[in-house]
Amino acid sequence: MTSFPSRRPSTQPSGDPTVATLLTWLLPGAGHFYIGRAGFGLAAFVLVQGLYLLGLKLSGGMGFEFLQAELRSLLAPALAPELGNLGALVYHVREYGFGPGFPRPFPDTIVLGSTLTAVSGVLNICLMCHAHFEARLPKQQSSGSRSPALAVLAAWAVPGLGHFLQGRRLRALLVFVGLVGLLVLGTWLAEGSNLSRERHYYYWGGQVMGGLPALLLESLWGGRVVGAPIPYAEGGLVIASVAGMLNILAMLDVFGWSEARYLAGSEPAAEAGAAAAGGEASA
Amino acid sequence: MNDLGTHLLLFAALSAVIVLMSCFFSEAEDGPALRAFPKRLIVYFIGCGILTGLLLLFEHTLASVS
Repeated sequence: MTSFPSRRPSTQPSGDPTVATLLTWLLPGAGHFYIGRAGFGLAAFVLVQGLYLLGLKLSGGMGFEFLQAELRSLLAPALAPELGNLGALVYHVREYGFGPGFPRPFPDTIVLGSTLTAVSGVLNICLMCHAHFEARLPKQQSSGSRSPALAVLAAWAVPGLGHFLQGRRLRALLVFVGLVGLLVLGTWLAEGSNLSRERHYYYWGGQVMGGLPALLLESLWGGRVVGAPIPYAEGGLVIASVAGMLNILAMLDVFGWSEARYLAGSEPAAEAGAAAAGGEASA
Repeated sequence: MNDLGTHLLLFAALSAVIVLMSCFFSEAEDGPALRAFPKRLIVYFIGCGILTGLLLLFEHTLASVS
């Protein structure tokens, strides 16, 4: 029996998802250039990399000097949200590192700057999700507003929002109440002492995965001077940090849901394409 | 240990959210996820109880410094 090669150029994936993801990790937007979406890639690069560079400017590149001397090592900065933007993180470490080796005053805008570099890392993780998914779609096809990456971004921004946008209202409510409740509980127990990257570098990295509620709490109660022992400071710190990290599970959950729904919705089209190709082959 | 009750209450609150998120992560539909919640929570408590017992045991034997 003679077999005919399939002629379905429109169903060919745009590229290798792993390559697109790794390229985006190294340089925001590069994965989109690779899959032929140069305009989107350029806009993403300007936004994500621009955010990191602005953060560097505002913090004077001193973000890693928050780390106490005994915690400083080659891989120490990698345990931070900035890891999501690997290229910028490597540049940051090589260019600024841990500073000159002696304490010096931080600029007034270091908190904002340090937050922006962290947010850039988180945004690039969402961009990596986008590049990974788009690479699997046929060329000239885009998931648009149904992209799982948007759900992931929403889930990070406000715990439960990603689920809400997917129409999973009960889950959205429970995730929001559970995670934001823990963030508030932890902050209340620690009397706001948990909301300082300078004081708790790594725990802060966990908390910031709680998205805008964590950043809002920090803008309201962060940076307070601790003048007396706080009985539940450590407990509150752990609870708030765990809340942020649990939101990573919520982000994975919304990605999986959107991905499955989108691919299930694409099945009839794929089947139609396969049937058409089969018809061509039979003819 | 005067505030043991508070500690247990905080542990219960944190555990409930951890287990709830694990249920949601492992089940795509709300119904099965919520039905699995009580059993998973009990297993979690038992596991933590065993771990606590082992830690206390080691604290008073192998790791005792008194």
